[in-house]
Amino acid sequence: MDILIVMCVGILIGKFLVPKKAKTANEYLSLLSTFLLIFAMGVTLGSDDNFFAELSALGITSFLFFLIPTVLSILLVYLLTRHFMQKKDSDAQGRAEKK
Amino acid sequence: MMVLLTILSLLLGLACGFYDVQNSVITLISGNTDLILYLLMFSVGISIGMHKGIVQKMKEYHIRIFIIPIGIIAGSLLGGVLCSLLVHIPVAQGTAIASGMGWYSLAGSTIGNIAGAQLGSVAFLSNLMREIFSFFIIPFLALKCNNYTCIAPAGATSEDTTLPMILKYTNEETVVLSVLNGIICSFFVPILISFCLGFA
Repeated sequence: MDILIVMCVGILIGKFLVPKKAKTANEYLSLLSTFLLIFAMGVTLGSDDNFFAELSALGITSFLFFLIPTVLSILLVYLLTRHFMQKKDSDAQGRAEKK
Repeated sequence: MMVLLTILSLLLGLACGFYDVQNSVITLISGNTDLILYLLMFSVGISIGMHKGIVQKMKEYHIRIFIIPIGIIAGSLLGGVLCSLLVHIPVAQGTAIASGMGWYSLAGSTIGNIAGAQLGSVAFLSNLMREIFSFFIIPFLALKCNNYTCIAPAGATSEDTTLPMILKYTNEETVVLSVLNGIICSFFVPILISFCLGFA
């Protein structure tokens, strides 16, 4: 919940206070935060004594439980959005091309 | 480039954690992940705020904003059923694992508590893989499918950790849909896990 409040504050500041030329700097800020979060996740996992043992013992089963649900989610979302939302997407692309 | 830097960040973090590298910078980063996440969400908010007409676009979607989470939840549950048949475990347990939709910490701990450490570990690892592999799948999907499909692998993580990847490879409109999807999926993760394990 609190992250949504922070994001809403960001939206208001982005809408009313941030100049257009700061767009690139803001993109770098979000990339830097992402890399730091992934790095921190790596540190947590790497320092867990059981992590690598679990990965080798249950790796293949876990991989299946990642792969199949993810692929089916992608497939269903693609089919559903192509059928129900694609028109908007192509409209948006059309508008972008005109600009 | 983005994918390469993502892999490097993860590998560097794993190495630092594994070899117990201690210095003030690493302690500062790993001890303040909440603050970094706030910074990230603030930055994402600024991106959305700078994009004109986003509210109007969301109004145009109306009830269709539920299409993406419905597809993700249905695909995950269906995948859980298939996996349980493949590895010969009860369907209720398989669907519970897949219901994590990338939220590895919650899925791992709740399933571990209710159904045992081994199943909890599979839930943790598979959902962790979903989050990590999403970083690499999103750029591919942006090229080969449509913007909306980029949200699918991210599942419940599409409102936070994988959001910058979606922002980088799609547009602000998709980012807003991604945040909404993340909220809806995250809401359903604990409900679906409890519901599925109720049948075990």
